[in-house]
Amino acid sequence: MIRASLTLLLLSAIGGPVCTDPEPVGFPVLAGFEYKEGMTLPKEVTDLDEKVVEIRGFMRREFPGSGPVNSFMLINDACGCMGTPMMNEIVFCTLPENVTMDIEAGIVTVTGKLYVGEEKEDGDVLLIYAMDADTVTGT
Amino acid sequence: MQLLLLAVVAAPVIAFWPKGDQDPDQWLKHVTKACESRRFGIRLAAAKRVANAGAAAVPAIKAYSKDKGRNAVPTSLVDAIADSKVTSPETEVLLRTWAEDNDFYWRSNAMRGLALRRVEASLFEKYVGDSAWLMRTHARLGLALLDEGGKGREAVYAMAEGDPRARVRLARLLLEQGQVPPLQPLLDALADKRSFLGIPWGSRLGLESSKALNAWLGADFPEIVGGDYEKSIGPIVAATKKRSGQDLKLPEAKSDPDYGVVGGFEIASCKFGDQFVQWQADGTLRFGIDGARTAKLPAEQWQELLQQRTALVLEKNAGVVVCDKMQVVLMDPKMRVDVAPSSLPSEASEWLKRLTQRLEEANETEIAADLRRGLGQFEGR
Repeated sequence: MIRASLTLLLLSAIGGPVCTDPEPVGFPVLAGFEYKEGMTLPKEVTDLDEKVVEIRGFMRREFPGSGPVNSFMLINDACGCMGTPMMNEIVFCTLPENVTMDIEAGIVTVTGKLYVGEEKEDGDVLLIYAMDADTVTGT
Repeated sequence: MQLLLLAVVAAPVIAFWPKGDQDPDQWLKHVTKACESRRFGIRLAAAKRVANAGAAAVPAIKAYSKDKGRNAVPTSLVDAIADSKVTSPETEVLLRTWAEDNDFYWRSNAMRGLALRRVEASLFEKYVGDSAWLMRTHARLGLALLDEGGKGREAVYAMAEGDPRARVRLARLLLEQGQVPPLQPLLDALADKRSFLGIPWGSRLGLESSKALNAWLGADFPEIVGGDYEKSIGPIVAATKKRSGQDLKLPEAKSDPDYGVVGGFEIASCKFGDQFVQWQADGTLRFGIDGARTAKLPAEQWQELLQQRTALVLEKNAGVVVCDKMQVVLMDPKMRVDVAPSSLPSEASEWLKRLTQRLEEANETEIAADLRRGLGQFEGR
C-alpha cells in the first residue's frame, strides 16, 4: 500500500502519465443545473465525459471515519453542516489501486479523467460524476 | 361474482396502498441502510424511502436512534425527512424532538422540516435569534411561511442579519416556496468574491443565488455561458427587477482587501454557531465571516502571543469530524488542519485561552465570551 502526502500527490508516475493538459472545470458548470434522477444531463457536462479535467473543491469522506482513504468525495462546500449535497454537487474520486492519502482541510485541486453519467445499483443512483484521480494538490 | 367484484374494487386500492405499511422490521433495515451504508448514493436512496414512508418508519428511526445514539442519524436522513412532501403527526413530533435538542447535530435541518410544514409560530419565534445561522434562518422561514396575521413575512424581512450566508439562504428558501422576499441579497451574492482564510464563501453564495434565480425566472433567466454567471449579472438584475417589481441595484463587486492576515481559525458549530477569527501581524483581529468586526490588542501582549504561536502548529487533522469542527490556519509556518470536538491538543488550547483572555482584558467581553463557548467543546479530554 502506497501512502501519499497531499502537498503534491503526483500519481501519474504510478498510474501512467497524463498525456493531455487537463481542462479546468468548475462546480458552477457541474452543479449549475437542478438535477433530477433520470434526466438528460446538460450538454455542457456530458461533453466532459472521459476528458482529463482539473477541479477545485473540498475533500470529504464518503463515510465518516478517520485514517487515509483510497476514494473520497470532492464537493463545493467547505462546511459539512450545510446539509446533504445534491448528486451534481459531488465528484466521486478514486485514487489508483493501493494508493491512499489523508483527507485534507481546505481547497484541493484534483486532476484526472472524469466520467459523466448516472451509475446505478439496484435502481438507486450512486453517482453522476466519477473521476480517476491522478493528482491531488493542496493549497 | 362477489369475489370478482371485490377484486375489481381492491386492485386499485392495493396499487396505491402506501409503501409505509411495511413490516416494522423492514423499516429498521431501510433506516440502518440510510445510516450505515458505505456508499453515499445508497444512503441517500434509502433515506428517501424512509422519509416517504411517513409515520410508518418513525418507530424504526426512534429504535435506531435509541440503540446507536441520536447523532448516529446522518444529515442525509434528516434532510430527506425535512424536505419530504409526506408527513404525519409522528413525523412532526420526531422533527420537533430533533430541532429542540441542542446536542443533536442536525437540529437546524429538522427545523427546516418544521418550517416547511408551517407547524407553530411560537416554536419558530423561540429560535429566530439562535446563534447557529441555519437554525435561525429556518425558524425565520417558518414564521414567514406561516405569515400569522398577515404580518409574519414583513416582520421576518425586517429582522437584522449580519451573516451574508443567512441572508442568501432565507431568500432562496422563500423563493422556492413561492414567496418573493426582498431579492437584493441574492443579487449582491452574484458579485461576491470574498473568502475566509482561503475558503471562497462568496463564490459559493453566488452559485447558490444564481441557481435560485434561474429556477424562479425560468425562461426569463439570461443564458449563462460556461456556468459563468458573473458575465451576466446585468441581464440577471434586469430580469429580476422586471419580474419582482422591486427596486433592485446592480451589485457592488466585493473582494478581499489585503489585510495581511497571518493566521486564524474557524469554528463551524451547529450547536453554538459559527465563529471566524483572523489576525494580522500588527495585532489587529478580525471577527465574522466577512471580517467586518475588529479589535486590536496592545502591542506587547500581541507580540507575546505571536511568539508563542508555534503552540498552534498541528501536524495533521485531529479527531473524527462529523459535524462541528474547528479549522486552524497559519501562514508561517504554512498549516491548515481540521480539529474535531474534544480533540484540540492542550498547548493549542492554552494559546487560544490566552488569546481569549487578552481580548477580555481589552474590553472585548462579548467576543471573548462567544469564543470561550465555541472553543470549549474542542478542548482535548
